[in-house]
Amino acid sequence: MARQRRAGFFFVLPALAYFGLVFLVPLVESVIGSFYRTVPGGESRFVGLRLYAKVLSDPTFWQAVANTVSLLVMSVPTTVVLALAVALGLHRLASLRWRSAWTAMYFLPFSVSLVAAALIWQWMYDPIYGFLNHLLGQVGLPTQKWLQSLEQVRPSLALVNVWVRLGFDTIIFLAALQAIPTEYYEAASIDGAGPARALRHVTLPLLNPQIVMVTMLELIFNFKVFDTVYATTQGGPAGASQTVIMLLYDTAFKYFRLGDASVMAVFVFVSLLLVTLLQWRLFRRQVEY
Amino acid sequence: MRRLTWCSLALVLSVAPLVLAPAPSTPQTKKLVYWTHWEQNPEFNKFYETRGKDFAQKTGWEVQVVTVPYQGYEAKYLAALVGKSGAPDIYMGMTHHWCGQYDFCDRMPAELAKTWDENLPKYMVGVGKWKGARYGIPIEHGNFQQMYINVDLWKKAGLDPDKPVKTLDDWLAAMKKLTVLDAKGETTQAGFALRHKGHPVGITDKFLPFAHAFGARMLSPNLEQATGFANSADMVAALQFYQDLVQKHKVASLAFPTPEDAFGQKRGATIFRESWFFGWVKKNAPDVTFKVVALPCGKACPGAGNLFPWTNLVYKNSPNKQAAWEFMRFISNAKDDLDQHQAQGILPVWTANLESGYVKARPDYQSTQDMLKQPVPPEYYHPKSNELATAFGEAVVAALYGKGQPKPLLDEAAAKMDRVLKD
Repeated sequence: MARQRRAGFFFVLPALAYFGLVFLVPLVESVIGSFYRTVPGGESRFVGLRLYAKVLSDPTFWQAVANTVSLLVMSVPTTVVLALAVALGLHRLASLRWRSAWTAMYFLPFSVSLVAAALIWQWMYDPIYGFLNHLLGQVGLPTQKWLQSLEQVRPSLALVNVWVRLGFDTIIFLAALQAIPTEYYEAASIDGAGPARALRHVTLPLLNPQIVMVTMLELIFNFKVFDTVYATTQGGPAGASQTVIMLLYDTAFKYFRLGDASVMAVFVFVSLLLVTLLQWRLFRRQVEY
Repeated sequence: MRRLTWCSLALVLSVAPLVLAPAPSTPQTKKLVYWTHWEQNPEFNKFYETRGKDFAQKTGWEVQVVTVPYQGYEAKYLAALVGKSGAPDIYMGMTHHWCGQYDFCDRMPAELAKTWDENLPKYMVGVGKWKGARYGIPIEHGNFQQMYINVDLWKKAGLDPDKPVKTLDDWLAAMKKLTVLDAKGETTQAGFALRHKGHPVGITDKFLPFAHAFGARMLSPNLEQATGFANSADMVAALQFYQDLVQKHKVASLAFPTPEDAFGQKRGATIFRESWFFGWVKKNAPDVTFKVVALPCGKACPGAGNLFPWTNLVYKNSPNKQAAWEFMRFISNAKDDLDQHQAQGILPVWTANLESGYVKARPDYQSTQDMLKQPVPPEYYHPKSNELATAFGEAVVAALYGKGQPKPLLDEAAAKMDRVLKD
């Protein structure tokens, strides 16, 4: 038995070592770094909670948090609902070949580099040469400023995030849908349930673990969004799209304030941890039929 | 099984002599690694490798150039310089950042520093110094903004490109003539291609000539205070003028892409840019006929100032720093200076080259002279200049987008800048 335990330990050791080195060490470093201030000359000085007080009382930081939450509110529900709808549609396709082809098409944006995707969308959003304004002009609608408008920049970026993530979420939902035994639907049908009731009382409850997981993944992805914003707007115009991670990056690498940036990193970690735990507790339900 | 073991042993024995044999006696090449983020100047960068080959014949040291993309270069530099692993021996950067906020720079040997001090134009002598000591070699002369005008568009608007405007009032009148609006009142051709996108540091950089023309300055002369300077009456007037270009006179448009693209696409008739832009237009918009003239003056003249004084620095912790300084010494002469800058089409740095045939034949020769005659504007070479310029730039861009009035925006920015300075 001891030998088996030892073998088990050795099997998980690579994963543990990887997780420790790539995730835990930087996390601990960030937490420690948030109590130190880098002074000219490159040395660090312990300052206790001073950097927390400074960062958490800075309006620029809270503006970045508000921008991030706003992006998140626009992106997450849209992505999850759309992915579910697409997965349900694909699931109904009888032809396996067509289903695979459509699934691949939806998944394609996910495999594109985020920076490349952002640059393509930047061109599409260009107020003068952009594809979208060209289309609007063709149907006689007024052109828009998209990424160069204070009001439209966040919805425009949210749309890019939805486009990028839709395929990944769809694949998860589709796999889950295919795992639901058809007997449940047959039983529901015998009991007189139509498609809507079957969706509500069979499909959605059985997809609950996937819905919770996808929502959490989207929440984390959108909270940490950086590449698309950095490549398209760099937080502009006038700070309207500056996210927490953008600000963190600037603080660390443009202003060389590693301590302040560590405070922001800890804030992001704690916020995501709390929201994830809360979501897990509130929405995760065991479903058995 | 036994046969397999013998076969393996035979294979190992046959390979062993190859592995254990000493390497053929080719001369050992050693490399100095140079990092730059001047990705728009590949010929300029290549010069280090070319001259590195000559240097190698004497010393055995070659030079390898690594071009780091400008976006995010600070992160890569910082990670390497802090970590010491994979760090360059020589790198391009701003002295007040890398030597001021961090201690990453090796002090230049005295006799080399003397050579540079004696051969730089007067306004550049401070570039590359931190607390009076020279660390960096300035690499860019003419990195102050000048006015590029599209000759055809100016003529079409009834303006004489050979008699460029000298005052801000005349300049504004010209910009109005150059601006074309469509039936909906949207700008289709802007008199002035204005920077409104990207990082606030860049926004500040492009606004400062206007601020200086109004007699304003972003920080106190000792660089210790912003309130009273960044929000002075002159600065408020300058920002009001800048905001009006977009919001009131519509001679600049927020729908346009970068100013360079707008100028290259003939959608912007005028742009303020540095001397390198001449090469950019030649390459990317060869059909644009342009002239370069000095910036117009207001209460004061903007002068030859800059926010990004680029220099070459030697990494303090490099094990090859002696060789790095030797290489720097090797190329510190008027001929190399001219060859390197001419290869890229940018202005040389050495005073001896400022009257060379190459410089005199450039379209910005006269304008550079005119700009240098203007008083030297304020410098902001502070270790936290990025953070200060960001706070200031946020106010400028907010004004451009109509998020507020100049006075309260600048008051807020000045308070924030003071917090940064005191921290």
